[in-house]
Amino acid sequence: MTEVPVSRIRNFSIVAHIDHGKSTLADRLLQYTGTVADRDMKEQFLDNMELERERGITIKLQAARMDYRARDGREYVINLIDTPGHVDFSYEVSRSLVACEGALLVVDASQGVEAQTLANVYLALENNLEILPVLNKIDLPGAEPERVAAEIEEIIGLDCSEAILASAKEGIGIEDILEAIVQKVPPPADTVDKPLRALIFDSYYDSYRGVIVYFRVMDGRIAKGDRVKLMASGKEYEIDELGVLAPTQVQVNELHAGEVGYFAASIKAVGDARVGDTITLAKQPASEPWPGYAEAKPMVFCGLFPTDAAQFPDLREALDRLRLNDAALSYEPETSSAMGFGFRCGFLGLLHMEIVQERLEREFDLDLITTAPSVVYRVTKIDGEVLYIDNPSALPDPQYREMIEEPYVKVEMIAPENFVGTLMELGQSRRGEFKDMRYLAQGRTTLVYELPLAEVVTDFFDQMKSRSRGYASMEYQLVGYRKNELVRLDVLINGDRVDSLAAIVHRDKAYYVGRALVEKLKELIPRHQFKIPIQAAIGSRVVASEQIPALRKDVLAKCYGGDISRKKKLLKKQAAGKKRMKSIGTVDVPQSAFMAVLKLGSEGGS
Amino acid sequence: MGPQTARGVDRDWWRRAARSAYVHVPFCRRRCFYCDFPIAVVGEFRPVRGGDPSGPPDPLAPKVPLSGENSGAIAQYVTLLGQEIETVAAQGRSSSNASNSLEPLETVFFGGGTPSLLSPEQLGFILGLLDRHWGIAAGAEVAIEMDPGTFDRAKLADFVAAGINRVSLGVQAFEDELLAACGRSHRCADVDRAVAAIAAVDLNNWSLDLIAGLPHQTIERWRWGLERAIALGPPHLSVYDLTVEPGTPFGKWYEAGCAPLPSDRATAEMYRCASEVLRGAGYHHYEISNYARSGFECRHNRVYWHNRPYYGFGMGAASHLGGGRFTRPRNRAAYGDWVAGGCAIAADPTTETDRLLETLMLGLRLAAGLSVATLRDRFGPAAIAAIETVLKPHRDRGLVVALDDRGTALDPTIALGDSDRIALTDPEGFLLSNQVLSDCFEALG
Repeated sequence: MTEVPVSRIRNFSIVAHIDHGKSTLADRLLQYTGTVADRDMKEQFLDNMELERERGITIKLQAARMDYRARDGREYVINLIDTPGHVDFSYEVSRSLVACEGALLVVDASQGVEAQTLANVYLALENNLEILPVLNKIDLPGAEPERVAAEIEEIIGLDCSEAILASAKEGIGIEDILEAIVQKVPPPADTVDKPLRALIFDSYYDSYRGVIVYFRVMDGRIAKGDRVKLMASGKEYEIDELGVLAPTQVQVNELHAGEVGYFAASIKAVGDARVGDTITLAKQPASEPWPGYAEAKPMVFCGLFPTDAAQFPDLREALDRLRLNDAALSYEPETSSAMGFGFRCGFLGLLHMEIVQERLEREFDLDLITTAPSVVYRVTKIDGEVLYIDNPSALPDPQYREMIEEPYVKVEMIAPENFVGTLMELGQSRRGEFKDMRYLAQGRTTLVYELPLAEVVTDFFDQMKSRSRGYASMEYQLVGYRKNELVRLDVLINGDRVDSLAAIVHRDKAYYVGRALVEKLKELIPRHQFKIPIQAAIGSRVVASEQIPALRKDVLAKCYGGDISRKKKLLKKQAAGKKRMKSIGTVDVPQSAFMAVLKLGSEGGS
Repeated sequence: MGPQTARGVDRDWWRRAARSAYVHVPFCRRRCFYCDFPIAVVGEFRPVRGGDPSGPPDPLAPKVPLSGENSGAIAQYVTLLGQEIETVAAQGRSSSNASNSLEPLETVFFGGGTPSLLSPEQLGFILGLLDRHWGIAAGAEVAIEMDPGTFDRAKLADFVAAGINRVSLGVQAFEDELLAACGRSHRCADVDRAVAAIAAVDLNNWSLDLIAGLPHQTIERWRWGLERAIALGPPHLSVYDLTVEPGTPFGKWYEAGCAPLPSDRATAEMYRCASEVLRGAGYHHYEISNYARSGFECRHNRVYWHNRPYYGFGMGAASHLGGGRFTRPRNRAAYGDWVAGGCAIAADPTTETDRLLETLMLGLRLAAGLSVATLRDRFGPAAIAAIETVLKPHRDRGLVVALDDRGTALDPTIALGDSDRIALTDPEGFLLSNQVLSDCFEALG
């Protein structure tokens, strides 16, 4: 690799909704510039996690360096910094946008702007990026580039007169895109002479080399063998290996301002080299870190329990290993009377949670029980102490509480206007506060609600999709905590309070949730030799109750010749069912009851 | 019952040679709506009643075999059955294993299906084979299931002449509507004729089968049916409970406990009612589903409940030999292939745990329960301690009792190990027996 002048560097990312063709476009750019030979091309080169390939979405971002000889005859180095498409990772997105001067806004010309695109475009605008609109999939029969261009102008306020018409699939418009990047995206500031500041925009754990850090040099130079300091963590490391991503790792000796690369320095966990941290030289440190560093805070929590208690140590090890690679994952051991030993885990959002669960099951071969997701409540006690509670059973009793606050999010939904009614119903039923509605071009509407996060983390997304027959898209962002009339709804089985069935709900919904809970439990708890009352209560006030009648008869009084094998099988099955049950006092409750109830807790009242 | 020898684990009790044989006769005139047994419907029958023989056949009308002859299918089956019996006898003769030695049979049971569809000659052929190879012990119980409407006095006399000395009569109900609702092929009038035939041949050892929990059955009609049954004077009664099995017409039409089937509460009440009424009439409720006057308990079935070995012959029949249980193929073609292939018995090897659980699940069906000494001899003192623990809550609740040597219930504070026998209580322990047994399976399995 020869040294490249800063003026010939272009750093950009791609902002797009899922399925709008970001990965395919990236593939074409790599092919067109000869970065990846055609024969090495596999679908969606940048998404190299199995899960990503399967879902066709980008979870962990990657980067690629391309050499491009432009029409002006000059050689340019173009770095594509890929961003995760999902809002759960918006912090990572914002860090990778900081590392760029421009962004391609890729919109499906047959569909239009979606909510996720919006959120990321706004992030790009906040970072003063040059945004180049690309209307993709123009080869499709339903493509309406004019309409979509008008929509972009209307919603985002972006000039689309020079929007590029492209089809990544068919290879149309690829050169135009590269030319636009060279001509319109500004080169990085030439700050090669300043003290080193490099911004970490991603990292992953490699079992041989330790953490591999992806960075963009903002100022100065970085070389192999340098002793560097991470300004937020304060830790120092010596760089063992330095290189660029072409897109496979190619070692180099030095990188300077404007360039994008990776290094390895025997760092043990990604938590030690967090996204957003600034790298500087230990000997001549920069005076200030690059602004904007924040530690990712988990927003959504759930309990993870091994189905087989013997797998608990394996689950711990798997989480430890995942954390090497995922600084945003948090977990602590939890014991549940119903499910035994497990972990309470914190995630950036729902997709993050789903990904972690799937990776645990797929990559570590664990069989897991997942409790319904919950959020963190802020509880102020009478004595002024403030507690953060993510487990309903830990909520102090009412006499000690001054107030409970819950996290709220702003949800933006975009949908065809004929679904507005049903989506508004959804918003209202989830305690949403209507904020705004705007008509976009061609009968599409954006709806803005502020909702408690607790109402969103359950099945809001699925509901929105099913109510809109798949047409609506959504995005959410945290807007802070709000005080609400929240109560702890307890469940009593045969008079015993069951911690793992407790829920924090709004007072107005307590009756409906309670009713649904006791009805479901009645269905799932087998009859015993005695009557079992099941109650839902707020404090000492019962809001709903049911009763499981006593078992009257459980006998095999059938003529069966000498063939006892079926009777034996029946008893074995019954015994296996009993083994999986948890005793609450004298009542055996099947695990399925806990699971179904946890699911139902989320649907209650909707 | 336990060995009279000094205490010590009796390791080989389950290896003893079988002295009982079950013979399955799968043919029926039609399939009852609740039945999931391995049976085959034999088609060549004509209606006997229902007036004009040239008129349209009434599908529910009772039918009997064409006179003098039953279907070729039965004859073919009897040939196969004979081959199986010969093959098993030859295997036993060439085996050095004590479990396989050919000892005279103490009990033989023809079950079905409808074994009374056999001709006396066919029955005699099978019994002759058993007698030739094993010998039928003097005083052996030779029992057969017979359905009303399939035999008359002459045929029964021929059966008795062939060696039958016990009949189990499939009456099931005393109301024609109920019989029709079950898809039974007989009617009440057939029952009266059958009972008269039994009396006429002086067969004093017979049993009457009833089913509780039929569609639209009420507790009042059930009680009335029990009284009808008692009036017929059988020395033995089997009272079964309708089980709705998947794959049967009832399985498609009905859900257990839901109308038109009686509720769980009602069928539990029917069970209690049977126990009370029949015991009141002098019957001994000696097993969950069985009642007898003293001395008329079914000896063959007691072999099952005592977890002793037995042969099984015929399609779908189960055998229990050398600790291994094996069920023969359940359809005729597969059974034929199996016989042609040399009757290989592929029983899973049993473990000590299997044998303990089987001993418990079978023995606790008996009112007399299980001998603690025998359990200790066979499974050791640790097993007694484990059983003690798992049965404790059930003793406290009154479902299980420990008895002393005179059959008196002991206070639950007295350790099971210090008692003579353990048993389920009648009727509450019997009614919830699966709860007790599944706890045993959970704790000991």
